[in-house]
Amino acid sequence: MIEIVELIIVSHSNKIAEGIQDLLKEMAPTVPIHLAGGLEDGSIGTDVTRILEAIEAVDKEALLLSDIGSATMNAELAVDMYEGDKTVQFYDGPIVESAFVAAVSSGNGMELDQIMDQLQQET
Amino acid sequence: MLTIDGLKEALRNAQSEIEANKDTLTDLDRAIGDGDHGINMSRGFDAVSTILNEDYDSLGALSKKVGMTLMAKVGGAAGPLYGSAFVKAATAFGDATEADFSLVKSALEEGSASIKARGKSEVGQKTMVDVWEPFLTDLSESDDFTEKLDRLVKDTEDMKATKGRASYFGESSRGTIDPGAMSSAIILKAIMKEVD
Repeated sequence: MIEIVELIIVSHSNKIAEGIQDLLKEMAPTVPIHLAGGLEDGSIGTDVTRILEAIEAVDKEALLLSDIGSATMNAELAVDMYEGDKTVQFYDGPIVESAFVAAVSSGNGMELDQIMDQLQQET
Repeated sequence: MLTIDGLKEALRNAQSEIEANKDTLTDLDRAIGDGDHGINMSRGFDAVSTILNEDYDSLGALSKKVGMTLMAKVGGAAGPLYGSAFVKAATAFGDATEADFSLVKSALEEGSASIKARGKSEVGQKTMVDVWEPFLTDLSESDDFTEKLDRLVKDTEDMKATKGRASYFGESSRGTIDPGAMSSAIILKAIMKEVD
């Protein structure tokens, strides 16, 4: 059986992250979505610790997406810092469109590398 | 010579300077950013001040801990940027318990390179890179560090931002000092003061 590629959504705003999750659930209900939105106290910001926790929650493989500026920086930092056995790839693109393409592709059984190719073509 | 206690002292001084300039940093960031730089830096350096009470057996160990703390606590872009700068500087300090001017300079150069790489930024984009890189270029022990740093911060005022949050302001970003440049100068001044 093919491992399903999970998604990690990194946003400055927890509401944006939750909104994207709602959107994706309609299109690809089988794809697990992990969120690292906002700071721990609910305020706006991004926190590398929360991203690392989201990576830990992944079963095997995940694609990581971020919104703007420091979210992207922290996402890349988290991928660099992560030392565990999960495979995580970061894609730097518009978060809603990328998440949409990735979730549908993953739900259709595509592997991580194929999804990355798909994203490069479509976003 | 920069000792472990000297670096701790520098970080305590940086914390009080950031606290004293918290509103200025926030006001600058409100003008050309998201208005949280003062608050973020204050939160980050508060966290740093608590880890200074622990014992460290090398400058590298202390610098790494400072970097990890800043990464976790600052938030915003400054967290990963300053955080990775201190983590990278730690590799240059290594096991040393004291550092002469040349080693401090090398460590700061590692930090500067890390900020550029992490932020994908170059000189002239109205960011903290406009302080770090030109400050270290041709830096000599006899320089007036404070004068040089103040001038570099002031130089960011007329620049147009092409990187970071301020770049969304385009031409309107001119006329405001870059808050990251200002906080960088605070940190670098505090460190250089202890190198004697």
